[in-house]
Amino acid sequence: MNLKPFITLLAMTSAVSAASAQDTSNITISGFGTAALTRSNTSDAEFARPNQLAGVTSGAKTGVDSNLGLQVTAKMNDWLSFTGQGLVRKNVTDNFGAELAWAFAKAKVSESLNIRVGRIGLPVYMISDYRNVGYANTMLRPPVEMYAQVTLESLDGADLLYQTSLGDTNITAQVAYGVTDSENRSNFTAKFKKVSSINIVAENGPFTFRFGRVDANVTVDNSTNLNTLVSGLSKFGFVSAANAIAVNDTKASFTSVGLGVDWKSMVVQAEYGKRKSASLSIADTTSWYTMFGYRMGSFLPYFVHASATQDSPRTVAGLPTAGPLLPYTLGANGLASASPIQTSNSIGVRWDFHKSAALKLQLDRMSPENGPGVFINAKPGFKGPVTVFAAAVDFVF
Amino acid sequence: MNKHLTHLMLAASFMTSASFAGAAELVVIVNTANPATAMTAAQASQFFLGKSAMFTPVDLPDNSPIRAEFYKKVADKDLSEVKTIWSKLVFTGKGTAPKEMHNYAEVKKAVAANPTGIGYIERSAVDATVKVITVLP
Repeated sequence: MNLKPFITLLAMTSAVSAASAQDTSNITISGFGTAALTRSNTSDAEFARPNQLAGVTSGAKTGVDSNLGLQVTAKMNDWLSFTGQGLVRKNVTDNFGAELAWAFAKAKVSESLNIRVGRIGLPVYMISDYRNVGYANTMLRPPVEMYAQVTLESLDGADLLYQTSLGDTNITAQVAYGVTDSENRSNFTAKFKKVSSINIVAENGPFTFRFGRVDANVTVDNSTNLNTLVSGLSKFGFVSAANAIAVNDTKASFTSVGLGVDWKSMVVQAEYGKRKSASLSIADTTSWYTMFGYRMGSFLPYFVHASATQDSPRTVAGLPTAGPLLPYTLGANGLASASPIQTSNSIGVRWDFHKSAALKLQLDRMSPENGPGVFINAKPGFKGPVTVFAAAVDFVF
Repeated sequence: MNKHLTHLMLAASFMTSASFAGAAELVVIVNTANPATAMTAAQASQFFLGKSAMFTPVDLPDNSPIRAEFYKKVADKDLSEVKTIWSKLVFTGKGTAPKEMHNYAEVKKAVAANPTGIGYIERSAVDATVKVITVLP
Protein backbone atom coordinates (compact mmCIF):
# COMPACT_ATOMS: atom_id res chain seq x y z
CA MET A 1 0.00 0.00 0.00
CA ASN A 2 1.20 3.48 -0.81
CA LEU A 3 1.86 5.27 2.47
CA LYS A 4 2.52 8.71 1.00
CA PRO A 5 -1.00 10.15 1.50
CA PHE A 6 -1.02 8.98 5.11
CA ILE A 7 2.33 10.67 5.70
CA THR A 8 1.05 13.81 3.96
CA LEU A 9 -1.91 13.83 6.30
CA LEU A 10 0.30 13.46 9.37
CA ALA A 11 2.56 16.22 8.09
CA MET A 12 -0.43 18.51 7.54
CA THR A 13 -1.55 17.89 11.10
CA SER A 14 1.84 18.46 12.66
CA ALA A 15 2.35 21.60 10.57
CA VAL A 16 -0.89 23.07 11.86
CA SER A 17 -0.15 22.18 15.46
CA ALA A 18 3.44 23.44 15.17
CA ALA A 19 2.21 26.72 13.68
CA SER A 20 0.04 27.39 16.68
CA ALA A 21 2.24 25.77 19.32
CA GLN A 22 3.67 29.05 20.47
CA ASP A 23 0.22 30.38 21.26
CA THR A 24 -1.52 29.63 24.49
CA SER A 25 -4.51 28.65 22.39
CA ASN A 26 -6.28 25.34 22.81
CA ILE A 27 -5.32 22.79 20.18
CA THR A 28 -7.35 19.63 19.86
CA ILE A 29 -6.30 16.84 17.53
CA SER A 30 -8.75 14.08 16.90
CA GLY A 31 -9.08 11.42 14.29
CA PHE A 32 -11.27 8.74 12.85
CA GLY A 33 -10.85 5.87 10.48
CA THR A 34 -12.22 2.70 9.02
CA ALA A 35 -10.27 -0.39 8.08
CA ALA A 36 -12.47 -2.49 5.82
CA LEU A 37 -12.51 -5.38 3.42
CA THR A 38 -15.17 -5.45 0.73
CA ARG A 39 -16.04 -8.03 -1.92
CA SER A 40 -18.95 -9.09 -4.12
CA ASN A 41 -20.06 -12.31 -5.76
CA THR A 42 -19.57 -11.19 -9.35
CA SER A 43 -16.60 -10.67 -11.66
CA ASP A 44 -18.67 -8.97 -14.33
CA ALA A 45 -18.83 -5.50 -12.74
CA GLU A 46 -17.16 -3.61 -9.93
CA PHE A 47 -18.86 -2.31 -6.83
CA ALA A 48 -17.59 1.12 -5.80
CA ARG A 49 -18.74 4.00 -3.69
CA PRO A 50 -20.02 7.04 -5.62
CA ASN A 51 -17.15 8.65 -7.52
CA GLN A 52 -14.58 5.93 -6.94
CA LEU A 53 -12.69 5.07 -10.12
CA ALA A 54 -12.38 1.37 -9.40
CA GLY A 55 -14.18 -0.99 -7.12
CA VAL A 56 -14.22 -4.58 -6.01
CA THR A 57 -15.34 -7.80 -7.64
CA SER A 58 -15.22 -11.28 -6.13
CA GLY A 59 -11.79 -10.69 -4.58
CA ALA A 60 -11.77 -8.83 -1.27
CA LYS A 61 -10.10 -5.40 -1.26
CA THR A 62 -9.57 -2.59 1.21
CA GLY A 63 -10.17 0.34 -1.14
CA VAL A 64 -13.93 0.81 -1.19
CA ASP A 65 -14.79 1.30 2.46
CA SER A 66 -11.50 2.24 4.16
CA ASN A 67 -10.42 5.74 5.14
CA LEU A 68 -8.50 7.77 7.68
CA GLY A 69 -9.27 11.30 8.84
CA LEU A 70 -7.47 13.72 11.10
CA GLN A 71 -8.89 16.90 12.47
CA VAL A 72 -7.20 19.79 14.18
CA THR A 73 -9.12 22.50 15.97
CA ALA A 74 -7.39 25.56 17.33
CA LYS A 75 -9.48 27.60 19.71
CA MET A 76 -8.00 31.08 19.66
CA ASN A 77 -10.33 32.67 22.20
CA ASP A 78 -13.92 32.69 23.36
CA TRP A 79 -15.32 33.44 19.94
CA LEU A 80 -12.83 32.38 17.28
CA SER A 81 -11.63 28.92 16.26
CA PHE A 82 -9.98 27.26 13.27
CA THR A 83 -10.74 23.72 12.14
CA GLY A 84 -9.00 21.66 9.49
CA GLN A 85 -9.78 18.11 8.51
CA GLY A 86 -7.67 15.94 6.24
CA LEU A 87 -9.02 12.76 4.76
CA VAL A 88 -7.25 9.84 3.10
CA ARG A 89 -9.38 7.55 0.95
CA LYS A 90 -9.92 6.37 -2.59
CA ASN A 91 -11.93 8.99 -4.45
CA VAL A 92 -11.89 9.76 -8.19
CA THR A 93 -8.44 8.14 -8.56
CA ASP A 94 -7.62 4.49 -7.86
CA ASN A 95 -5.02 5.38 -5.23
CA PHE A 96 -5.49 6.39 -1.64
CA GLY A 97 -5.13 10.16 -1.79
CA ALA A 98 -5.08 12.90 0.84
CA GLU A 99 -7.69 15.65 0.59
CA LEU A 100 -8.36 18.74 2.60
CA ALA A 101 -11.94 17.82 3.52
CA TRP A 102 -12.54 21.12 5.21
CA ALA A 103 -10.75 24.09 6.68
CA PHE A 104 -12.68 26.94 8.17
CA ALA A 105 -12.64 29.75 10.66
CA LYS A 106 -15.61 29.75 12.98
CA ALA A 107 -16.74 32.88 14.74
CA LYS A 108 -19.28 32.77 17.53
CA VAL A 109 -21.48 35.81 17.10
CA SER A 110 -23.81 35.01 19.97
CA GLU A 111 -24.98 32.10 22.09
CA SER A 112 -27.08 30.93 19.18
CA LEU A 113 -25.31 32.16 16.05
CA ASN A 114 -22.05 31.00 14.47
CA ILE A 115 -20.48 32.07 11.20
CA ARG A 116 -18.03 29.83 9.37
CA VAL A 117 -15.83 30.93 6.48
CA GLY A 118 -13.60 28.72 4.35
CA ARG A 119 -14.08 25.19 3.10
CA ILE A 120 -17.10 23.92 4.95
CA GLY A 121 -19.10 20.72 4.77
CA LEU A 122 -22.08 20.94 2.43
CA PRO A 123 -25.14 19.46 4.14
CA VAL A 124 -26.72 17.77 1.12
CA TYR A 125 -27.95 14.84 3.20
CA MET A 126 -28.88 14.13 6.80
CA ILE A 127 -25.52 12.50 7.52
CA SER A 128 -23.46 14.58 5.07
CA ASP A 129 -21.25 16.08 7.73
CA TYR A 130 -20.16 12.79 9.23
CA ARG A 131 -20.69 10.40 6.33
CA ASN A 132 -16.97 9.58 6.27
CA VAL A 133 -16.84 8.92 10.00
CA GLY A 134 -17.80 5.25 10.15
CA TYR A 135 -17.88 5.27 13.94
CA ALA A 136 -20.57 7.97 13.97
CA ASN A 137 -22.87 5.87 11.78
CA THR A 138 -24.88 2.73 12.26
CA MET A 139 -24.53 1.46 8.69
CA LEU A 140 -21.20 0.42 7.23
CA ARG A 141 -21.62 2.93 4.40
CA PRO A 142 -24.28 5.47 3.43
CA PRO A 143 -26.74 3.80 1.04
CA VAL A 144 -25.15 4.23 -2.39
CA GLU A 145 -28.51 4.58 -4.16
CA MET A 146 -29.13 7.92 -2.45
CA TYR A 147 -25.61 9.12 -1.73
CA ALA A 148 -24.68 8.79 -5.42
CA GLN A 149 -27.16 11.51 -6.36
CA VAL A 150 -25.00 14.43 -5.26
CA THR A 151 -21.36 13.66 -4.59
CA LEU A 152 -20.44 17.16 -3.41
CA GLU A 153 -19.14 17.11 0.14
CA SER A 154 -17.84 20.61 0.71
CA LEU A 155 -18.22 24.19 -0.36
CA ASP A 156 -15.76 27.06 -0.53
CA GLY A 157 -17.71 29.93 0.95
CA ALA A 158 -19.48 30.75 4.17
CA ASP A 159 -22.36 29.61 6.27
CA LEU A 160 -24.50 30.73 9.18
CA LEU A 161 -25.38 28.25 11.89
CA TYR A 162 -28.31 29.22 14.08
CA GLN A 163 -29.34 27.18 17.09
CA THR A 164 -32.42 27.74 19.16
CA SER A 165 -34.93 25.83 21.21
CA LEU A 166 -38.71 25.92 21.09
CA GLY A 167 -39.87 24.24 24.25
CA ASP A 168 -38.24 20.83 24.24
CA THR A 169 -37.32 21.00 20.57
CA ASN A 170 -33.78 21.97 19.58
CA ILE A 171 -33.61 23.57 16.16
CA THR A 172 -30.51 24.06 14.07
CA ALA A 173 -30.75 26.08 10.89
CA GLN A 174 -27.86 26.37 8.49
CA VAL A 175 -27.62 28.56 5.42
CA ALA A 176 -24.58 28.27 3.17
CA TYR A 177 -23.38 29.98 0.00
CA GLY A 178 -20.32 29.44 -2.16
CA VAL A 179 -18.69 27.62 -5.05
CA THR A 180 -17.06 24.24 -5.55
CA ASP A 181 -15.57 22.00 -8.22
CA SER A 182 -16.09 18.29 -8.43
CA GLU A 183 -13.75 15.95 -10.26
CA ASN A 184 -15.75 13.18 -11.82
CA ARG A 185 -14.51 9.64 -12.34
CA SER A 186 -15.43 9.93 -16.04
CA ASN A 187 -12.53 12.36 -16.37
CA PHE A 188 -14.25 15.73 -16.32
CA THR A 189 -14.81 18.51 -13.84
CA ALA A 190 -18.21 19.77 -12.82
CA LYS A 191 -18.01 23.41 -11.75
CA PHE A 192 -20.69 24.49 -9.31
CA LYS A 193 -21.42 28.19 -9.01
CA LYS A 194 -23.98 30.03 -6.88
CA VAL A 195 -24.26 27.04 -4.60
CA SER A 196 -26.81 27.77 -1.90
CA SER A 197 -27.92 25.41 0.79
CA ILE A 198 -30.55 25.38 3.50
CA ASN A 199 -30.45 22.72 6.19
CA ILE A 200 -32.94 22.63 9.04
CA VAL A 201 -32.75 20.03 11.78
CA ALA A 202 -35.28 19.73 14.61
CA GLU A 203 -34.52 17.42 17.50
CA ASN A 204 -37.05 16.45 20.11
CA GLY A 205 -36.12 13.71 22.54
CA PRO A 206 -35.51 10.57 20.49
CA PHE A 207 -36.72 12.15 17.23
CA THR A 208 -34.75 14.07 14.62
CA PHE A 209 -36.42 15.69 11.62
CA ARG A 210 -34.46 17.23 8.81
CA PHE A 211 -35.14 19.28 5.69
CA GLY A 212 -32.42 20.12 3.21
CA ARG A 213 -32.23 21.91 -0.10
CA VAL A 214 -29.21 22.61 -2.28
CA ASP A 215 -29.33 24.75 -5.44
CA ALA A 216 -26.49 25.32 -7.86
CA ASN A 217 -25.58 26.30 -11.39
CA VAL A 218 -23.48 23.55 -12.96
CA THR A 219 -21.08 23.78 -15.87
CA VAL A 220 -19.16 20.91 -17.46
CA ASP A 221 -16.89 22.24 -20.21
CA ASN A 222 -14.02 19.73 -20.28
CA SER A 223 -15.83 16.51 -21.06
CA THR A 224 -14.69 15.35 -24.51
CA ASN A 225 -17.73 13.12 -24.81
CA LEU A 226 -20.23 15.84 -23.90
CA ASN A 227 -18.51 18.48 -26.06
CA THR A 228 -18.41 16.19 -29.11
CA LEU A 229 -22.09 15.32 -28.74
CA VAL A 230 -23.28 18.89 -28.16
CA SER A 231 -21.28 20.42 -31.01
CA GLY A 232 -22.08 17.53 -33.39
CA LEU A 233 -25.83 17.60 -32.72
CA SER A 234 -25.90 21.40 -33.12
CA LYS A 235 -23.97 21.20 -36.39
CA PHE A 236 -26.40 18.69 -37.86
CA GLY A 237 -29.41 20.76 -36.88
CA PHE A 238 -30.53 19.02 -33.70
CA VAL A 239 -30.21 22.16 -31.63
CA SER A 240 -32.94 21.38 -29.10
CA ALA A 241 -31.45 17.93 -28.42
CA ALA A 242 -28.02 19.52 -28.04
CA ASN A 243 -29.43 22.03 -25.56
CA ALA A 244 -31.23 19.25 -23.71
CA ILE A 245 -28.00 17.43 -22.87
CA ALA A 246 -25.65 20.42 -22.50
CA VAL A 247 -24.47 21.28 -19.00
CA ASN A 248 -23.71 24.97 -19.20
CA ASP A 249 -24.71 27.11 -16.25
CA THR A 250 -27.47 24.55 -15.77
CA LYS A 251 -29.75 24.98 -12.77
CA ALA A 252 -29.82 21.91 -10.58
CA SER A 253 -31.25 21.18 -7.17
CA PHE A 254 -31.53 18.47 -4.55
CA THR A 255 -34.32 18.54 -1.99
CA SER A 256 -34.49 16.00 0.78
CA VAL A 257 -36.14 15.17 4.07
CA GLY A 258 -34.84 12.89 6.79
CA LEU A 259 -36.03 11.20 9.95
CA GLY A 260 -34.00 9.79 12.79
CA VAL A 261 -35.36 7.89 15.77
CA ASP A 262 -33.33 6.62 18.71
CA TRP A 263 -35.98 5.44 21.12
CA LYS A 264 -35.20 2.86 23.78
CA SER A 265 -33.70 -0.02 21.80
CA MET A 266 -35.08 1.11 18.45
CA VAL A 267 -33.01 2.96 15.90
CA VAL A 268 -34.56 4.27 12.68
CA GLN A 269 -32.95 6.36 9.99
CA ALA A 270 -34.72 7.32 6.78
CA GLU A 271 -34.22 9.83 3.99
CA TYR A 272 -36.04 10.75 0.80
CA GLY A 273 -34.63 13.00 -1.89
CA LYS A 274 -35.47 14.51 -5.27
CA ARG A 275 -32.81 15.62 -7.72
CA LYS A 276 -33.84 18.01 -10.49
CA SER A 277 -31.95 19.74 -13.25
CA ALA A 278 -32.56 21.54 -16.52
CA SER A 279 -30.29 19.10 -18.39
CA LEU A 280 -31.06 15.50 -19.35
CA SER A 281 -27.41 14.70 -18.62
CA ILE A 282 -28.13 15.30 -14.94
CA ALA A 283 -31.23 13.16 -14.68
CA ASP A 284 -34.16 13.99 -12.44
CA THR A 285 -34.22 11.27 -9.82
CA THR A 286 -36.00 10.03 -6.72
CA SER A 287 -33.98 8.23 -4.09
CA TRP A 288 -34.69 7.03 -0.57
CA TYR A 289 -33.74 4.56 2.09
CA THR A 290 -35.03 3.34 5.42
CA MET A 291 -32.99 1.68 8.09
CA PHE A 292 -34.35 -0.17 11.12
CA GLY A 293 -32.04 -1.21 13.92
CA TYR A 294 -32.51 -2.76 17.31
CA ARG A 295 -29.96 -2.28 20.07
CA MET A 296 -29.12 -5.37 22.12
CA GLY A 297 -26.37 -4.47 24.56
CA SER A 298 -23.28 -3.68 22.52
CA PHE A 299 -24.80 -5.24 19.38
CA LEU A 300 -26.92 -3.30 16.93
CA PRO A 301 -28.33 -5.42 14.11
CA TYR A 302 -29.99 -3.46 11.31
CA PHE A 303 -31.87 -3.81 8.06
CA VAL A 304 -31.83 -1.29 5.21
CA HIS A 305 -33.90 -0.91 2.08
CA ALA A 306 -32.72 1.64 -0.49
CA SER A 307 -33.94 2.71 -3.91
CA ALA A 308 -33.00 5.04 -6.76
CA THR A 309 -35.30 5.68 -9.70
CA GLN A 310 -35.25 8.15 -12.57
CA ASP A 311 -38.00 10.69 -13.27
CA SER A 312 -36.70 12.23 -16.51
CA PRO A 313 -36.65 10.35 -19.84
CA ARG A 314 -33.69 8.03 -20.43
CA THR A 315 -33.68 8.85 -24.14
CA VAL A 316 -33.35 12.21 -25.91
CA ALA A 317 -36.38 13.03 -28.05
CA GLY A 318 -36.24 13.94 -31.73
CA LEU A 319 -33.04 12.15 -32.72
CA PRO A 320 -32.63 9.75 -35.69
CA THR A 321 -32.88 6.07 -34.76
CA ALA A 322 -30.91 4.91 -37.81
CA GLY A 323 -28.44 6.25 -40.32
CA PRO A 324 -25.04 7.91 -40.06
CA LEU A 325 -26.00 10.04 -37.05
CA LEU A 326 -26.94 7.01 -34.92
CA PRO A 327 -23.75 7.23 -32.83
CA TYR A 328 -24.84 10.72 -31.71
CA THR A 329 -28.24 9.39 -30.73
CA LEU A 330 -26.66 6.56 -28.76
CA GLY A 331 -24.22 8.96 -27.14
CA ALA A 332 -26.96 11.39 -26.11
CA ASN A 333 -29.13 8.56 -24.80
CA GLY A 334 -26.12 7.26 -22.91
CA LEU A 335 -25.91 10.55 -21.03
CA ALA A 336 -29.65 10.62 -20.37
CA SER A 337 -29.50 7.10 -18.94
CA ALA A 338 -26.26 7.35 -16.97
CA SER A 339 -28.02 7.69 -13.63
CA PRO A 340 -28.23 4.40 -11.73
CA ILE A 341 -31.60 2.72 -11.22
CA GLN A 342 -31.35 0.23 -8.43
CA THR A 343 -32.89 -1.15 -5.28
CA SER A 344 -31.11 -2.95 -2.49
CA ASN A 345 -31.76 -4.79 0.75
CA SER A 346 -29.04 -4.95 3.34
CA ILE A 347 -28.57 -6.59 6.67
CA GLY A 348 -25.77 -5.77 9.02
CA VAL A 349 -24.62 -5.58 12.59
CA ARG A 350 -22.60 -3.04 14.52
CA TRP A 351 -20.73 -4.35 17.55
CA ASP A 352 -19.20 -1.84 19.95
CA PHE A 353 -16.46 -4.17 21.11
CA HIS A 354 -14.24 -1.40 22.45
CA LYS A 355 -14.91 2.03 23.95
CA SER A 356 -13.54 3.76 20.82
CA ALA A 357 -14.01 1.16 18.13
CA ALA A 358 -16.82 -0.76 16.49
CA LEU A 359 -16.87 -3.80 14.24
CA LYS A 360 -19.41 -3.89 11.43
CA LEU A 361 -20.49 -6.60 9.07
CA GLN A 362 -22.84 -5.79 6.22
CA LEU A 363 -24.36 -7.86 3.45
CA ASP A 364 -26.08 -6.05 0.58
CA ARG A 365 -28.25 -7.59 -2.08
CA MET A 366 -28.29 -5.06 -4.91
CA SER A 367 -30.64 -5.26 -7.87
CA PRO A 368 -29.69 -2.95 -10.75
CA GLU A 369 -32.38 -2.28 -13.36
CA ASN A 370 -32.11 -0.98 -16.94
CA GLY A 371 -28.33 -1.01 -16.81
CA PRO A 372 -25.53 -1.61 -14.37
CA GLY A 373 -27.02 0.40 -11.47
CA VAL A 374 -24.26 1.74 -9.24
CA PHE A 375 -21.80 -0.84 -10.58
CA ILE A 376 -18.95 0.33 -12.78
CA ASN A 377 -16.75 -1.12 -15.52
CA ALA A 378 -19.52 -3.61 -16.26
CA LYS A 379 -18.86 -6.30 -18.85
CA PRO A 380 -21.46 -6.72 -21.61
CA GLY A 381 -24.26 -8.92 -20.34
CA PHE A 382 -23.72 -8.00 -16.69
CA LYS A 383 -26.87 -8.66 -14.73
CA GLY A 384 -27.83 -8.42 -11.11
CA PRO A 385 -28.69 -9.04 -8.44
CA VAL A 386 -25.28 -8.84 -6.84
CA THR A 387 -24.33 -9.63 -3.27
CA VAL A 388 -21.79 -7.30 -1.67
CA PHE A 389 -20.17 -8.17 1.62
CA ALA A 390 -18.02 -5.95 3.80
CA ALA A 391 -16.36 -6.18 7.20
CA ALA A 392 -15.05 -3.04 8.84
CA VAL A 393 -13.53 -1.74 12.03
CA ASP A 394 -14.39 1.92 12.73
CA PHE A 395 -12.37 3.81 15.27
CA VAL A 396 -12.00 7.30 16.70
CA PHE A 397 -9.12 8.78 18.62
CA MET B 1 -30.65 32.41 27.54
CA ASN B 2 -32.61 34.13 30.28
CA LYS B 3 -35.77 32.58 28.97
CA HIS B 4 -34.16 29.19 29.24
CA LEU B 5 -33.15 29.82 32.80
CA THR B 6 -36.68 30.88 33.68
CA HIS B 7 -37.84 27.52 32.36
CA LEU B 8 -35.33 25.79 34.57
CA MET B 9 -36.40 27.77 37.60
CA LEU B 10 -40.04 27.01 36.85
CA ALA B 11 -39.14 23.35 36.61
CA ALA B 12 -37.45 23.73 39.97
CA SER B 13 -40.63 24.81 41.69
CA PHE B 14 -42.20 21.47 40.84
CA MET B 15 -39.33 19.56 42.29
CA THR B 16 -39.14 20.96 45.81
CA SER B 17 -40.51 17.82 47.39
CA ALA B 18 -38.03 15.45 45.79
CA SER B 19 -36.64 13.07 48.36
CA PHE B 20 -32.93 12.48 48.58
CA ALA B 21 -32.53 8.95 49.87
CA GLY B 22 -29.73 6.51 49.06
CA ALA B 23 -26.05 6.19 49.79
CA ALA B 24 -23.93 6.76 46.67
CA GLU B 25 -26.21 9.15 44.82
CA LEU B 26 -24.95 11.03 41.80
CA VAL B 27 -25.58 14.73 41.59
CA VAL B 28 -25.22 17.28 38.83
CA ILE B 29 -23.37 20.38 39.97
CA VAL B 30 -23.07 23.90 38.59
CA ASN B 31 -21.25 27.10 39.45
CA THR B 32 -22.57 28.81 42.60
CA ALA B 33 -23.23 31.94 40.51
CA ASN B 34 -25.59 30.00 38.23
CA PRO B 35 -29.11 31.43 38.79
CA ALA B 36 -30.80 28.09 38.04
CA THR B 37 -31.75 26.16 41.17
CA ALA B 38 -32.79 22.79 39.74
CA MET B 39 -33.09 20.98 36.45
CA THR B 40 -34.39 17.62 35.37
CA ALA B 41 -32.05 14.80 34.40
CA ALA B 42 -33.26 15.21 30.81
CA GLN B 43 -32.38 18.90 30.84
CA ALA B 44 -28.96 18.19 32.30
CA SER B 45 -28.30 15.53 29.66
CA GLN B 46 -28.69 18.16 26.89
CA PHE B 47 -25.36 19.71 27.84
CA PHE B 48 -23.52 16.41 28.18
CA LEU B 49 -24.81 15.17 24.82
CA GLY B 50 -23.97 18.35 22.91
CA LYS B 51 -27.59 19.34 22.26
CA SER B 52 -27.18 22.67 23.99
CA ALA B 53 -24.05 24.77 24.31
CA MET B 54 -25.50 27.02 27.01
CA PHE B 55 -23.50 25.31 29.76
CA THR B 56 -19.95 23.90 29.54
CA PRO B 57 -19.84 20.28 30.72
CA VAL B 58 -16.85 18.45 32.19
CA ASP B 59 -16.59 14.68 32.26
CA LEU B 60 -14.98 12.01 34.39
CA PRO B 61 -12.38 9.67 32.83
CA ASP B 62 -13.36 7.26 30.08
CA ASN B 63 -12.88 4.21 32.32
CA SER B 64 -14.75 5.60 35.33
CA PRO B 65 -17.74 3.46 36.37
CA ILE B 66 -19.38 6.63 37.69
CA ARG B 67 -19.26 8.08 34.16
CA ALA B 68 -21.01 5.01 32.77
CA GLU B 69 -23.59 5.17 35.56
CA PHE B 70 -24.19 8.88 34.98
CA TYR B 71 -25.02 8.54 31.27
CA LYS B 72 -27.14 5.48 31.93
CA LYS B 73 -29.17 7.39 34.52
CA VAL B 74 -29.38 10.74 32.82
CA ALA B 75 -30.06 9.61 29.24
CA ASP B 76 -30.27 5.81 29.28
CA LYS B 77 -27.22 5.64 27.03
CA ASP B 78 -24.12 3.45 27.01
CA LEU B 79 -20.76 5.19 26.78
CA SER B 80 -20.31 3.96 23.21
CA GLU B 81 -23.61 5.61 22.26
CA VAL B 82 -22.45 8.82 23.92
CA LYS B 83 -19.16 8.62 22.06
CA THR B 84 -21.03 8.11 18.77
CA ILE B 85 -23.15 11.18 19.45
CA TRP B 86 -20.06 13.29 20.16
CA SER B 87 -18.16 11.96 17.16
CA LYS B 88 -20.95 13.39 14.99
CA LEU B 89 -20.42 16.83 16.50
CA VAL B 90 -16.64 16.76 16.81
CA PHE B 91 -15.88 15.66 13.24
CA THR B 92 -18.21 18.24 11.77
CA GLY B 93 -16.55 21.05 13.69
CA LYS B 94 -19.84 21.75 15.46
CA GLY B 95 -18.75 20.93 18.97
CA THR B 96 -16.00 19.77 21.27
CA ALA B 97 -16.51 16.84 23.61
CA PRO B 98 -16.49 17.66 27.35
CA LYS B 99 -13.04 17.93 28.88
CA GLU B 100 -12.09 14.94 30.98
CA MET B 101 -11.19 15.58 34.59
CA HIS B 102 -9.25 13.02 36.62
CA ASN B 103 -11.37 13.05 39.78
CA TYR B 104 -14.15 14.77 41.71
CA ALA B 105 -11.79 17.46 43.03
CA GLU B 106 -10.89 18.48 39.49
CA VAL B 107 -14.55 18.43 38.43
CA LYS B 108 -15.47 20.75 41.31
CA LYS B 109 -12.53 23.02 40.55
CA ALA B 110 -13.49 23.28 36.86
CA VAL B 111 -17.16 23.96 37.67
CA ALA B 112 -16.24 26.52 40.34
CA ALA B 113 -13.91 28.30 37.90
CA ASN B 114 -16.45 28.65 35.09
CA PRO B 115 -19.79 30.47 35.51
CA THR B 116 -21.35 28.16 32.89
CA GLY B 117 -19.61 25.02 34.16
CA ILE B 118 -21.59 21.84 34.80
CA GLY B 119 -20.38 18.48 36.06
CA TYR B 120 -21.43 15.39 37.99
CA ILE B 121 -20.01 13.80 41.13
CA GLU B 122 -21.11 11.60 44.00
CA ARG B 123 -23.28 13.43 46.48
CA SER B 124 -20.83 12.73 49.31
CA ALA B 125 -18.17 14.74 47.48
CA VAL B 126 -20.27 17.94 47.30
CA ASP B 127 -18.92 20.99 49.10
CA ALA B 128 -19.64 24.73 49.23
CA THR B 129 -17.59 25.54 46.10
CA VAL B 130 -20.36 24.17 43.86
CA LYS B 131 -24.14 23.99 43.75
CA VAL B 132 -26.20 20.81 43.38
CA ILE B 133 -28.83 21.26 40.68
CA THR B 134 -30.01 17.69 40.01
CA VAL B 135 -30.05 14.60 42.16
CA LEU B 136 -30.10 11.42 40.13
CA PRO B 137 -32.14 8.59 41.65
